[in-house]
Amino acid sequence: MTQNITINPITRLEGHGKIEIFLDSKGEVEDAYWQVVELRGFERFCIGRPVEELPRITPNICGVCPSPHNMASTKAVDDVYSVEPTPAAKLVRQLHYNAFYVEDHYIHFFFLSAPDFVVGPDADPAERNILGVISKVGLEIGKKVIDTRKRCRDIIRLIGSKPPHPEGGLPGGVPRGITEEERKWIKQTADDTVEFAQFALKLFKDVVLANKKYLDLILSDAYKLNVYDMGLVDANNKVNFYEGKLRVVDPQGNQYALFDPRDYTGYIGEWVEPWTYIRLTHLRKLGWNGLIEGDKTSLYRVGPLARLNAADGMATPLAQKEYEEMYNTLGGKPSHHTLAFHWARLIEALQAAEDMQQIANNPLLTSKDIRNMNLRLKKVGIGCVEAARGTLIHHYETNDRGLVTKVNLIVATQHNAAPICVSVKKAAKGFVKGPEVKEGLLNMVEMAFRPYDPCLACATHILPGEIPLAIHIRDKDRNIIRTLTKP
Amino acid sequence: MAGKPMVAICWLGSCGGCDEAVVDLNEAILDVANAVDIIFWPVAMDFKYHHLEAKRDGEIALSIINGHVRNSEQEEVAKLLRKKSQLVLAFGACACFGGTPGMANFRTKQDVFNWVYREAPTVVNPKRNYPQPKSKVNGKELSLPEFYEKVYALNQIIDVDYYLPGCPPPPDLTANAIYAVVEGRLPPKGTTLAPDKALCDTCNRNATKPSRISLSDIKRIHEVEASPDTCFLAQGILCLGPAVRSGCGEACMNINIPCRGCFGPVQGVEDAGAKFISALAAMLEAENDKDIRQLIEKIGDVPGYLYRFSAPVSALSQKQV
Amino acid sequence: MSNSEPKIVCFSCKFGWGYLGSEAALSSQVKNWIPIICSGKIDAQYILDAFRQGADGVLVLGCPEGDCHFQDGNVESKKRIYLLQKVLEAYGIEPERVRIELSLDPEGKKIPELVKKMSGTVKKLGPMKVLASR
Repeated sequence: MTQNITINPITRLEGHGKIEIFLDSKGEVEDAYWQVVELRGFERFCIGRPVEELPRITPNICGVCPSPHNMASTKAVDDVYSVEPTPAAKLVRQLHYNAFYVEDHYIHFFFLSAPDFVVGPDADPAERNILGVISKVGLEIGKKVIDTRKRCRDIIRLIGSKPPHPEGGLPGGVPRGITEEERKWIKQTADDTVEFAQFALKLFKDVVLANKKYLDLILSDAYKLNVYDMGLVDANNKVNFYEGKLRVVDPQGNQYALFDPRDYTGYIGEWVEPWTYIRLTHLRKLGWNGLIEGDKTSLYRVGPLARLNAADGMATPLAQKEYEEMYNTLGGKPSHHTLAFHWARLIEALQAAEDMQQIANNPLLTSKDIRNMNLRLKKVGIGCVEAARGTLIHHYETNDRGLVTKVNLIVATQHNAAPICVSVKKAAKGFVKGPEVKEGLLNMVEMAFRPYDPCLACATHILPGEIPLAIHIRDKDRNIIRTLTKP
Repeated sequence: MAGKPMVAICWLGSCGGCDEAVVDLNEAILDVANAVDIIFWPVAMDFKYHHLEAKRDGEIALSIINGHVRNSEQEEVAKLLRKKSQLVLAFGACACFGGTPGMANFRTKQDVFNWVYREAPTVVNPKRNYPQPKSKVNGKELSLPEFYEKVYALNQIIDVDYYLPGCPPPPDLTANAIYAVVEGRLPPKGTTLAPDKALCDTCNRNATKPSRISLSDIKRIHEVEASPDTCFLAQGILCLGPAVRSGCGEACMNINIPCRGCFGPVQGVEDAGAKFISALAAMLEAENDKDIRQLIEKIGDVPGYLYRFSAPVSALSQKQV
Repeated sequence: MSNSEPKIVCFSCKFGWGYLGSEAALSSQVKNWIPIICSGKIDAQYILDAFRQGADGVLVLGCPEGDCHFQDGNVESKKRIYLLQKVLEAYGIEPERVRIELSLDPEGKKIPELVKKMSGTVKKLGPMKVLASR
């Protein structure tokens, strides 16, 4: 008897990957591995480059979340030159960053996730895409989504050149400021975006939460994962995307650690396995306890739901209300329901929109004081931001001419890699019974990793190449019984 | 379906930014979706490789391929798309010249592995594991693709009909390229679907560009508060404008940052870096040996400026260890 | 491989090097000798082409500083070569594989000597290694 399953490539995530599912003698799922099969080498070929060029080079790690790389890199370069950006420059950066958050969270939600919820997890694969979503929710709403994304990206273009590869960011500031005329249209965009963000949450509640089948799916055990959570928080322990301290809470929601990102090497370890190119991060002080959840786990998640779990609340009023409603519905905080990442994502987009609105109303935004030229090379710098998908750390060292000698990067998908493995295994156990698997059920296995929005381009910053995402199902003798490709 | 040309959009070794660039067509993407039948687009649609295999040879009108090639799977997909397609468009700097990640050709694979799995400060690796093409976990064999020693541009792997460079290509040129195929307005094979001008010629700072640029000192971008409307070279800041193709819409100049060459060399030049060496040498204002060497040291990173997007297509890339 | 003689391509300016000597005689002594008018004519691309076609080292001979017939072609060439050396290093290629010498030798007697010297340097480095194909 030989049996196995493969899906190749795993679609609708940014990058490629592969899942191996092993069955036992009864045909039940015994093990599942999510493999990252690509590396790109940014950490090495950045060596020798002038450190101030890294905010222009590292966004190429990922065209989906280039702004976080640009931002983490710029902050690391600030640190290398021991300089703080001027208040106006910081506002310009945060404006760029919030605009990015909004558009990225919506591209994820509407283009990558909504097909599962709005069109349906077991719908015809040819319909399960953004065009399918648009035909379901109506062209008007579809146009609104596209319009919001476009206008937010216009802000990124203004400040950071090309949205898929922003180039702005200098130590101590930004290369270009904002004029009063620009502030006006930015404010209009921000106002409209706050409105859209509330609308998107309403749509989520009407279409997804109001459907008992979907709500049950969100709350089901197959999509639950009991691990730690990590995210940046401000001085009041509220969610912050741009700066702050890293806070880690345990699976019960108690604070486990609160630390300056510069101390990351003491808290975060990266475990190496022979079967994947990605390094598996874990809480270093707890040691590597393998791919497990629960009391013994040393795994933690990052990203929207993890950030909300790790914080005491949202930084803006409308988002705070939504935050409270979410935890009420999910049965308290912290929540380990993986599919609630989608919900948390929409709440975060609202915070980003509200924050963008505050910045657009701040008269300081148009100040011409956008560079702090008081640079003092200290040769080491660490920059940390919350990328849309989770905590992102850039760590640089240079020689005394500011040429890079060392780079270490920890990206969101790395933190989530081990939890994704466990999530995929749980979902596979929940939905795969024996070798005869329907396409819709396989999609439900893929749905276990889609909430993390695993950005494999990011995760594989180490070497060039790509990740085929396939699902192999293997029998007890480890033979491939099905390579699950979708019909 | 019948009558609409089939289009495949595919990434190889890529960051996903080129796919975002297609989405950046915004509302025009709905028109594109009406004009063509997108039969494969992994980032956005649920189609798998076997959907491609089921196509007849040449059945796909156009394959838009982004990303470089560094492993066997990417090579296979590129070859499969070539076989099934009448036209292949190399889309973006990575497909055209190897792109930023092409600078990995400055390092060896072994060097990368050593850092990533051994030396990085956060690595915890008591078993001294390395990822392996084949490995066993709990008695189960898992496999990973093996990597090539270096990065390749698309035309080093398959025959390419057209090129659209940029990091990423801008929406206007992207839409033009797609409609050129839909409407059959095709230039000769091998054409780069972007203006045949040097960036300097379209840059709005051009009026302040001196007729002869002489750099007696080199300023790095963090060292000066650059004027927002003066030629960067006139300010002593390196800018690749003279040697690079236009078409980006001067995106970087608009935010007061100099060009790094994502559109690649001007028409007829294969090795952008080598071309710029001559241009740069002429700008360096130094007579004697010591001054020349000092000025070059001041640049800090000659290869990183000259080959930011094109290291794999340099003649040297075929030679390196 | 280490025993075979390295392939050295030598470009030399006709204004300063060997214009009194016999080109045929020099050619027979120096295998890949390319006399040109002005070392400033040597584009970085030509040197890369030499490497592409199998050279292990490239030697450029130009006129002494201040003596260029075209004002500063020799200095231009020097700047290019110094820049190119930085690029070679990045690719893991020894910069010593490209050398420029600005001097004068109407008879051209030094040309075979310089090529031989260069050949010795390059021999120690070994042949240019061609990367294993994918």
